[in-house]
Amino acid sequence: MRVGPLGTRRPLCDDRRVAASALRRREIGRFGRPAVALLAVTFGLLTLAKARHDPDGSFGGTSAVGGIAELGAGWCLVAVGLLFGHRHPRNLVGPLLVAAGLAWFLPEWSNPGVDTSIGFTAGLVGFLACAPLAVHAALAYPTGRLSSAADRAGVAFAYSGAVVLLGVLPAAVFDPGGSGCLQCPSNLVLVESDFGLYDTFNRWGLRLGLAWLAALGVLSLWRLTRTRGMLGVTAPVLLSAAVYLAVLAWYFQHSLAAGLLSNTAFDRRAWRYEAAALAALAFAVGLALLRERRARASVARLVVELADSPRPGGVRDALAAALHDETLELAYRRPGTDEFVDADGLALVVEAGPGRAVTPLRRGDVTVAAFVHDARLRDQPGLVGEAISAARLAVENEQLQAKVRAQLLDLRASRSRIVEAADDARRRLERDLHDGAQQRIVGLLLALQLLRSRLDPEDANRVRSVERAADELRCALDDLRDVAHGLYPSVLSDEGLAAAIETLSELSETPIRIEGLVEGRFAPLVENAAYFTVAEAVRGAATASVLVRQENGLLIVDVETDSADPERAARLVEIADRVGALDGRLTIHDTRVRAEVPCAS
Amino acid sequence: MRVVIADDAALIREGVARILSDAGFEVAGKAGDAEALLSLVERRRPDVAIVDIKMPPTHTDEGLVAADRIRQHHPSTGVLVLSQYLDARYAMRLLEQHPERAGYLLKERVSDVGVLTDAIRRITEGECVIDPTIVSRLLDRRGPVGGLSEREREVLALMAEGHSNAGICRRLFLSPKTVEAHIRHIFQKLEIHEAPEYHRRVLAVLSYLRSA
Repeated sequence: MRVGPLGTRRPLCDDRRVAASALRRREIGRFGRPAVALLAVTFGLLTLAKARHDPDGSFGGTSAVGGIAELGAGWCLVAVGLLFGHRHPRNLVGPLLVAAGLAWFLPEWSNPGVDTSIGFTAGLVGFLACAPLAVHAALAYPTGRLSSAADRAGVAFAYSGAVVLLGVLPAAVFDPGGSGCLQCPSNLVLVESDFGLYDTFNRWGLRLGLAWLAALGVLSLWRLTRTRGMLGVTAPVLLSAAVYLAVLAWYFQHSLAAGLLSNTAFDRRAWRYEAAALAALAFAVGLALLRERRARASVARLVVELADSPRPGGVRDALAAALHDETLELAYRRPGTDEFVDADGLALVVEAGPGRAVTPLRRGDVTVAAFVHDARLRDQPGLVGEAISAARLAVENEQLQAKVRAQLLDLRASRSRIVEAADDARRRLERDLHDGAQQRIVGLLLALQLLRSRLDPEDANRVRSVERAADELRCALDDLRDVAHGLYPSVLSDEGLAAAIETLSELSETPIRIEGLVEGRFAPLVENAAYFTVAEAVRGAATASVLVRQENGLLIVDVETDSADPERAARLVEIADRVGALDGRLTIHDTRVRAEVPCAS
Repeated sequence: MRVVIADDAALIREGVARILSDAGFEVAGKAGDAEALLSLVERRRPDVAIVDIKMPPTHTDEGLVAADRIRQHHPSTGVLVLSQYLDARYAMRLLEQHPERAGYLLKERVSDVGVLTDAIRRITEGECVIDPTIVSRLLDRRGPVGGLSEREREVLALMAEGHSNAGICRRLFLSPKTVEAHIRHIFQKLEIHEAPEYHRRVLAVLSYLRSA
């Protein structure tokens, strides 16, 4: 069985429109990504040049640390964003990270020393644009979607607070020349100079800014507590975002007194911390990408591994290894039922528990199998799905095998129930004979004896007939005793296999040499199977020897006779069924009979 | 001589009581299960208790267990266990703990007054009693035993049935000296080197015959 390269088996995706749009996206990716990378490099270098040219109006200044913070945070975000976008083309997190990285450079362009009006205006408007973009990316990570209404409201609040209230609005009323900055380039979005309004926008922007920063901080921490395990993929991302938000809040709080965001010595220090937090965020996403890549590589190996028909349970093991989840369970649905079984056909309960998630594998509308796995795997979007697609053929194949095994188990259970019922019937009959017929005949013998003692001893005829009747009854009793013992020797249930075989050797017409017996008790069905194997195998032989031993979880009964009764093979069919019902084996070789029965003594 | 009878089948209990009282025994009590039997023995102190091997509640080996307790707590009371089972295993279990004043007979022997009264009498004299059918079955199965003569075989069977030397003398019309000589030869031929004293020899012979 061969499975094509990853992604080729996606029956839901072969819609032509979807394929076309995927193609378009790939085209955009092919040319877009290098272009964006080039833009980021150029933009970053230009920004650095501006900051060095006019260090007083910048955050980065001329220091090496400033330069590293400037380029490090921006480029890391863009690079990770591009990589993420490459891996997850339809996911918003990638573009958001790229945008956040580019926006990181903008504050430096609000520098009065900047000589382009476009750059200067962009710097004024986008001064805080990085913050909502980065936090949006963190909250939408890893699926690309904001999961709750609160998240969406918080992010919208942040965008309007950062870009509108602290960006567009103050820029619209800010006239750099009018406020004394003579060398400043012109503000392209100036509507009407109004310093009072400018001040109001800034002061309210800062106050509201503390509110949305707090709101986003709470949302990040809330999601952090909902993420199981700090080592999960999302935790480092959210933690970095929370630190970034805290630094920003600190910066805002400090700027409240002045009434506007500036670049004092304190602000520059805060800016460096922001850079560190954003770089950490980028690293967290990058690390998760790396882990995902490793996981995907093992999923790819999975395809190769499963190409050779694996042993039962091999698919589960391969998937568990590929997904690095040893607790993974693979449950196959029994067709036409809601029951699930494992690869060996044993019943399984499928349910999502704490920290456990269930992912179904469907063929059309029908669930074929279900994976119960660590819920954290869901943090890596598409990973479980990919693994399942990779294993699909093998899973479907194994499902069929599991179905057959489950049927076999059912069959075996029903066979052993039949044997058990037959044994119960034998025992009941034996007991009934013993407590009923045999007792009555003994009672009858007693009655005859009493009758005889009351006869006239001279009446020889009557005495003789009474004695004849008593003799007949004794013979009947002997016959009954043999029948009862043949049906089921009570010593077998009372004292076990060894005692029963000893008794058989004592009562049997065939002299039996006992070469070895296993003392101790076994399950009744096992003891019965072993006993009746011996009883049937020795019947009719002139001599026999019996060896019973226990080896590797098997009870092995060997019976060797001098000759094989021609009818014995037919009689042993019933014994073979009995042994087979216990998942054992009966082999007949001329005069040798061997039964192997699995036993747990 | 005082006897008590324990059997869960009233028909047999009453029948045996009748036969024994007709034969001159004093039937001191009758019980339907092991517990009633034990309290009966406690109160009446009979010479012999006649016990069915299968009694309520489980109908497996209650009689044997009760017999064991009687022999343990009332050494002067003998027990005669009646059973439908031919195998020597139960008989040997009875003798293993208390190899005197104990007997194991097939149940139908109750209709044979001679055998029954003889067994009771032997038990009160301290002998043990094993049903002749069990012994002859063991012997027949073995064919010739260790090159024993016909007479020696007879002596061996009587030993297995629990007869004392005096009993064997009476039955075979032999002198005590002859019987002793036979017994010595038998143990030599069977390679049972240490000729066991009476109380252990029944078990020794039975286990020899049983191990084919």
